Amino acid sequence: MRSVKTTEQSRLSGIMSQRTERRGIHVDQSDLLCKKGCGYYGNAAWQGLCSKCWREEYQRVRQKQIQDDWALAEKLQREEEAAYASSHGAQTQSHAQSTAPHSVHVSLGPFSKFEEKKTNEKTRKVTTVKKFFSPSSRTAPKKETQEGKSSSPSISRHASFDTDQVSKDFVDFLKNLQKPGREIHKQCRAFIVNMSSKKDLSADELSECVQDFYQNMSDRLMGHFKGSSDSVEQVMDQVEKYIMSRLYKSVFCPETSDDENKDLVTQNRIRALHWVTIQMLCVSMDEEIPEVSENVVKAITDIIEMDSKRVPRDKLGCITRCSKHIFSAIRITMNEPASADDFLPALIYIVLKANPPRLQSNIQYITRFCNPSRLMTGEDGYYFTNLCCAAAFIEKLDAQSLNLSPEEFDRYMSGQASPRFNSSEGDWPHAGSAPDVTATNPVLAQLNHNLELLSGLSSKQERLMEAAQSLQADLLSWPESVQREVHGILEKYPLEIQSCTASAIDANNTDNDNLPPPLTPQVFAG
Amino acid sequence: MSAMRVDAKVVMLGKESVGKTSLVERYVHHRFLVGPYQNTIGAAFVAKTIQMGEKVVTLGIWDTAGSERYEAMSRIYYRGARAAVVCYDLTDSSSFQRARFWVKELQNCEEHCKIYLCGTKSDLIEGDRSLRQIDYHDVQDFAEEIGAQHFETSSKTGNNVDDIFQKVAEDYNSTAFQYMTEETGIDLGQKKDSYFYTCCHNN
Ligand SMILES: Nc1nc2c(ncn2[C@@H]2O[C@H](COP(=O)(O)OP(=O)(O)O)[C@@H](O)[C@H]2O)c(=O)[nH]1
Ligand SMILES: [Mg+2]
Ligand SMILES: [Zn+2]
Repeated sequence: MRSVKTTEQSRLSGIMSQRTERRGIHVDQSDLLCKKGCGYYGNAAWQGLCSKCWREEYQRVRQKQIQDDWALAEKLQREEEAAYASSHGAQTQSHAQSTAPHSVHVSLGPFSKFEEKKTNEKTRKVTTVKKFFSPSSRTAPKKETQEGKSSSPSISRHASFDTDQVSKDFVDFLKNLQKPGREIHKQCRAFIVNMSSKKDLSADELSECVQDFYQNMSDRLMGHFKGSSDSVEQVMDQVEKYIMSRLYKSVFCPETSDDENKDLVTQNRIRALHWVTIQMLCVSMDEEIPEVSENVVKAITDIIEMDSKRVPRDKLGCITRCSKHIFSAIRITMNEPASADDFLPALIYIVLKANPPRLQSNIQYITRFCNPSRLMTGEDGYYFTNLCCAAAFIEKLDAQSLNLSPEEFDRYMSGQASPRFNSSEGDWPHAGSAPDVTATNPVLAQLNHNLELLSGLSSKQERLMEAAQSLQADLLSWPESVQREVHGILEKYPLEIQSCTASAIDANNTDNDNLPPPLTPQVFAG
Repeated sequence: MSAMRVDAKVVMLGKESVGKTSLVERYVHHRFLVGPYQNTIGAAFVAKTIQMGEKVVTLGIWDTAGSERYEAMSRIYYRGARAAVVCYDLTDSSSFQRARFWVKELQNCEEHCKIYLCGTKSDLIEGDRSLRQIDYHDVQDFAEEIGAQHFETSSKTGNNVDDIFQKVAEDYNSTAFQYMTEETGIDLGQKKDSYFYTCCHNN
């Protein structure tokens, strides 16, 4: 039993530390606030600033990034030209051509960049650009070596590295489409530039712009692919990825929206509901089964990870992965595939447990900027819709939704009481008949044991507190009583002060009474 | 992560235990499960591909949580659906009242969603006619009034199960074609009040 207990203990403490780690962001209020001291909440993703301060702080950086993105597009174009040239000229020459403009671009200031762009524009008009999206088979091996060069560590553009990669991927993808690919690229670039000039639009208007763009793009693609929805979808996924990676910073939780406040409300709400148990939600997941708790942890990780993705589809991917883990957890618990009736409560439970960062902002962002066909109908859309339901349920959750009396609910909500772990054990759908689950279940036994210890501790602490308080009262009254005593004595034996002046010890008027008898010379015989 | 592309969203609606999950289970996996776990069979989302002559239509079938405690959330579920299979239990008249409720909801909130009324558990009344609580002709009249299709199915025997989804796919196919010719593929008028501007937040 000893050894069992210790492993249980270590497992429990493992769970505890996981939890505190996960929830660590909420613990210290001062850590949460914007580093600029404006009083709003900051966010790690915004380097500890609030959205407003972050925006101001990085406006300049963003402007630069847009410039960089443009420059990169130009660069990619030049590389293509170089690659094309190399397929005609000598290998060495192509290398010189491909690396030279690149290093120039890195080391020179904006003015020369502008010059470069201009000259480039000229050459583009000539012939080489036609090969921008030339079939990749011809240039593929060359491209490899160039990529190795361009991603060398000497380039100090860490901030936009991700978007660089996205641009590259996008161009690579579009190359396979040849001529229409070039057109798509042009359209997307124009759209991004256009959007970056529309900073003051409301969230809905931003969404409308992007959705209109998706709509137009997919209409055109539909014509091009002669109605093959699969091909259209494939291109649209890439378009979404490219566009939203660029726009993310300016349109996620935009200043003009209420998203940030909603995030705070939801976050606080979930924290206030910390006492909700898996049994109250009637969730068919038994976390004592290691495989189940593993899936639960993975589901929580996935849903938290959603906030770190930029592309709506990638965020959806996190939700889908989270959902699949939940399905696994239910299937293992029930020994049967899960249905919608099992899934939604379990997802609610996971959301409560994870308290995913910026949940509302993420839901809104996906809703506004995801490619609609995916969101409306497909499997990802199903899970996303369930997440919306879970968020709505949590928002409106009351006593009735947990099968509690309003009094109970209020007491839990105010922290006056917390649900006993063993009071609702009968609710376990599969363990139902066992009369004393505590006896058979070491974790529950451990929990009960810990609860007892805790309540013992709390009563001890209460006693200690009482003692401390009486000590404090004693200490406060002590000087008073001393004073009173002194006063009494003084009254009993009033001091009669005789007027006296300070005097030297051997002055004539010294009060002889107070002095020891004067030393008199003594003569010793002998 | 490349999930299957889906053409149309089909939601299953109806009171708890009318047999929504069983219907999907029968249609997709051709089975009917009985036993202690019978109300937990199936999956929540299934994509089913249907061959329609030369064309292929993929239906995304959305099962919904039946419990009353989630009823307030069900609007979020059926948003953007092209078809709703509104189920009622032929042996339970209260379930038909709920079906009427869903119909009203759909008419108010999702005008582009076609409605399919589905009386379930027809095998039970075949065994014992006195169990029938919902008259066929009453429902037929109601269906005509609201412009809906009407089926009676059994997930136990499989009777009429394929037919109802086949009809859903056919209707989708013909309306999709209609959209294409009439408005070059897109219904822009639908956009403003669509899913994307409301989601679960009423702003
Ligand atoms: N005899 C019979 N029973 C059915 C039929 N469909 C469902 N059931 C039973 O009705 C109960 C509820 O079914 P379920 O699919 O879980 O309903 P849901 O809550 O609407 O998803 C289960 O016990 C099923 O076995 C049917 O066609 N015939
Ligand atoms: Mg069901
Ligand atoms: Zn701030």
